[in-house]
Amino acid sequence: MKIEFTLNGHPISVEAPADISLLHLLRDHLNLTGTKEGCGVGECGACSVLLDGRLVNSCMVLAPQAGGREVVTIEGIRGPDGGPNDLQQNFIDYGAVQCGYCIPGMILAGEALLAKTLTPDRAEIREAIAGNLCRCTGYQQIVDAIEVTAADRRKGAGATDTRSPIPSPRSQEVTHG
Amino acid sequence: MERFSYVRAESIPHAVTLLNAPGVRSRVLAGGTDLVLLAREQRNLCDRVVDITLVPELHEIRRVTNGAGDHVQIGAGATFSEIVASALVRETAPLLSDACHSVGATQIRNMGTLGGNVANAAACADSLPALVCLDAVAHVVTPTEELAWPVADFVTRPNRTQLPPGGLLTALSYLVPARGSRGVFLKLGRRNAMAISRLTVAALGRLDGQGRIAEVRIAPGSATPHIHRFSQTEAHMLGQAPSVALCQEAGQAAVAEMLEVTGKRWSSEFKEPALQAMVARALMSVFNLADEEQLA
Repeated sequence: MKIEFTLNGHPISVEAPADISLLHLLRDHLNLTGTKEGCGVGECGACSVLLDGRLVNSCMVLAPQAGGREVVTIEGIRGPDGGPNDLQQNFIDYGAVQCGYCIPGMILAGEALLAKTLTPDRAEIREAIAGNLCRCTGYQQIVDAIEVTAADRRKGAGATDTRSPIPSPRSQEVTHG
Repeated sequence: MERFSYVRAESIPHAVTLLNAPGVRSRVLAGGTDLVLLAREQRNLCDRVVDITLVPELHEIRRVTNGAGDHVQIGAGATFSEIVASALVRETAPLLSDACHSVGATQIRNMGTLGGNVANAAACADSLPALVCLDAVAHVVTPTEELAWPVADFVTRPNRTQLPPGGLLTALSYLVPARGSRGVFLKLGRRNAMAISRLTVAALGRLDGQGRIAEVRIAPGSATPHIHRFSQTEAHMLGQAPSVALCQEAGQAAVAEMLEVTGKRWSSEFKEPALQAMVARALMSVFNLADEEQLA
């Protein structure tokens, strides 16, 4: 069937079977492989995307459910210069990325939280990423990165993000525990 | 080849028409968190999926006042996130807000719906004990009639309900508990997020002018195959002044009531002390008593 929707801000029309997941549609029909498949049963959050602004597991959404709606994947999150945005840069700077497999979902979970509030406490941040499993970092650095981004955006730094995609010296100081 | 086709319902009557199209085996897609996985396992699940996620009426949460009193009606398509965010539910039935908040994590709460939880009726469904504790009613529309059952009768056993073929669960409603009532929802899982409930307890109670228990409702989840109020345990408490000892007795009575239904099972050794402690704690919270064991 024909599925028409807005993907990362652009209208798109794609012919695909009705019985596949949105995850499968994104990865195998649209070649957007940034969205990862982890468990495939809604437990791990690696496939998280925003559907009409709400964080969902794309492995549990049928592709045609996207019809007429707005989908944002990790490919739609970037800085004005095309490099990492402030949240992504903070993930790099704070050592929040190790193997990287959970990160697209983590970034979207972080963006979904920051769209709701720029004053989350650490407990709220942990709850916001509770549906996203990371087996490398122990989450501490991820929480740090989201917390700092919230503070930066509160100060308005996020609006005029001038950071270079090249990691800042700060990232070398981060110790991995 | 597509194993099933997809169609989106625009309204409740449209959904009912689609579900009753002759010669087409249809399944309702309410949130997808159960159905999409089931469809992957069972290759021949249905001919067509009827997506009701975008039917506006099914998301409404509103107060309904009629001859029978002041009710809150929640559209069956309301997601757990929508219910958690509802000030009306928080104000009238915080135990239901808490039960919905305990489901999965953000992603699952953004997708999963109250109606889906009830209609799928998993043994561990977190909203069921809360709804049963509230004496909630399930509202169903078929092509010819509108039906209603208490949730405790609607869900007969795990994964089985009274939903007639071609019927659509449209709403869940509850009578707003009397002034002075206090309710709690407790969940025992392996971790905070994403945990499948091992045991839950929804409880609600109220004192009379003399400080005696005028009303108490106790509905454990994942304890018995059919989720129901533990009426013997409730009867044991009625008319008495609440105390820590009474709440602990109620915990023991609840265990006895569970075993009457289930008999001893492989999990009883774990469930007996857990249910006893959870019922006692839930009731102590309902009646504002300090849990000395927890303080010690």
